[in-house]
Amino acid sequence: MRGGSILITLAVSLLLFSGCEPKPQPIELGSDQCAYCRMMITEQEFGTQILNKQGRAFKFDSVECMAAYDITEDGENFHSKWVPDFLNRENWVNAEEAVYLHSETLRSPMGLYLTAYADRESAEQMQAEYGGDILDYESVKVLVSGEWLDNSENQVHHQNH
Amino acid sequence: MNGLTTVKTKCITKIIRVEHGKRNYLWPTNGRKLDNTFSLENLDLMKQIIYIVAILLFLTPVSLIYGQITVSPDGSITSIQEAIDQAISGDTIRVEAGTYNESDISIKKPITILGIDRPVIDGEGKGFIMLITADSVTVSGFDIHNTGRSYIRDYAAIMIENSKDFIIEDNRLDNVFFGIYLAETDRGVVRNNEIESYDLREASSGNGIHLWSVKNPRIENNTVKGMRDGIYLEFVDNARITGNVSSDNNRYGLHYMFSNGGIYHDNTFRKNGAGVAVMYSENVDMKNNRFENNWGPSSYGLLLKDIRNSTIEGNRFYRNTVAIYSESSSNVQIRRNDVELNGWAVNIKSSSARNYFTENNFIENSFDVRTDSPRNNNVFEGNYWSQYEGYDLDRDGIGDVPYRPVSLFSIIIDRQPESLILMRSMFIRLLDTAERIAPVLTPKTLIDENPKMSRIQ
Repeated sequence: MRGGSILITLAVSLLLFSGCEPKPQPIELGSDQCAYCRMMITEQEFGTQILNKQGRAFKFDSVECMAAYDITEDGENFHSKWVPDFLNRENWVNAEEAVYLHSETLRSPMGLYLTAYADRESAEQMQAEYGGDILDYESVKVLVSGEWLDNSENQVHHQNH
Repeated sequence: MNGLTTVKTKCITKIIRVEHGKRNYLWPTNGRKLDNTFSLENLDLMKQIIYIVAILLFLTPVSLIYGQITVSPDGSITSIQEAIDQAISGDTIRVEAGTYNESDISIKKPITILGIDRPVIDGEGKGFIMLITADSVTVSGFDIHNTGRSYIRDYAAIMIENSKDFIIEDNRLDNVFFGIYLAETDRGVVRNNEIESYDLREASSGNGIHLWSVKNPRIENNTVKGMRDGIYLEFVDNARITGNVSSDNNRYGLHYMFSNGGIYHDNTFRKNGAGVAVMYSENVDMKNNRFENNWGPSSYGLLLKDIRNSTIEGNRFYRNTVAIYSESSSNVQIRRNDVELNGWAVNIKSSSARNYFTENNFIENSFDVRTDSPRNNNVFEGNYWSQYEGYDLDRDGIGDVPYRPVSLFSIIIDRQPESLILMRSMFIRLLDTAERIAPVLTPKTLIDENPKMSRIQ
């Protein structure tokens, strides 16, 4: 009898935990702060997040800040990375699967001109209108580390033209 | 009887307006305005010649002499764009009182556009309102309303692009997405403008005065309310930002990014969502500003991130959640500031080094200094701390025992924010006192060896 109730408790808690796959959390615009650059997040179409295995969200004001955090922090405990679809900003897209546009006519909060899309088609559509290059997440990381993190301590200042 | 008078007045105004509608040339040497209606009688020969020359000039469509064009709702020119199209370089366009429903007004030549008795330009929610792409343009004295809003285009009431030596002054902007937007400009002046725009969906508001890739701008005595950032700078060199009041903005009163060698003096930043942020910049001079009433979970009087070789002097920090927050900043001189009634006076991350806090007044802050490490690489020296409980036996005005501005409780809160509920309890007071006598957890070197006994004037 006693063993049975323990089993039931175990089963119930297993059920509960399996329902706890970390999900992207809503960003409180005008209150949440970027975990990388400390800026307050105000634009939903640029706000990104990394979830750790405990389901805690690290939120960022831009794709570039998320990529920089991803490069500089130990990713051991990361569960997943999420970006908003620029054309449907309620929609979270897995950062590794998203398609990015790097176009100087579409300014992003930290000045690296990056926007994210759910699929290649919409990125190409935007590219036709606004120009620029289509990137995957790995090339976004290469771009961010080239612009911000490489060559010495004083990096960020040098992205000024 | 009444109807008759109205008709009469209307007629008179119409006559005057018709005259204004013509092109009135100014005499180049003395700026005297010539009358359009004159008689050739009773004039000596000299004057006749002058008038004949004037008539010839009047008849010439293209003239080298600066002219003046008047726009009015019931004159011969009723649209500002039409007047601009007719104008030549150096002309002045006078826009009389009235409402002009115009957007994307394009200014491609060096001209002056003056609003007389506050004419209103209503963009009716379509795109930009004025787009300036020429040097030496002046825009003054307008009430400008209703720009377009977009997630992709930065629609602004006044957009200045690739331009030098312009003046934007005495305008009032209301219900605009971006207010005054400078892109790739040099030596522009933006002064005495009022920008106010409250959008309920806060994500869709732009910045009041937005500067991107700009050299030597002067931003003086403007008032900005209810925007995203009051004044925003990105890649700006040598900005002079003085005498502005930036309040009730959703994010920052002033947002300074990747901008070197500027000054901001004598400004007031009040009740902004997150205070003022100065990020990724060098050689910034911040003097005599007021940082007031910036309350909120991620709100700071002044947020410093990656700042080097800068000065923060003579400012007043009053009632902010955190007066000064510093991360990854170095060689910043923080002196002679009044830091009063804030939650935390200073929150300095261990990534900050070689910053000097001297001769400041720290008065009745809930906590003086908060930090995240037992190591300390910054200097606190000769400040006045109202929480200092030491003594001055030699009466030299300097306390005989050092002051430790980081309390044990502030360390505990840094690790366990929930413990804030114990604030001002007897237990915490005992702990703090014990820690001050025999420090274990607080940074041993974060001390003020020479705390002042009285407030520094």
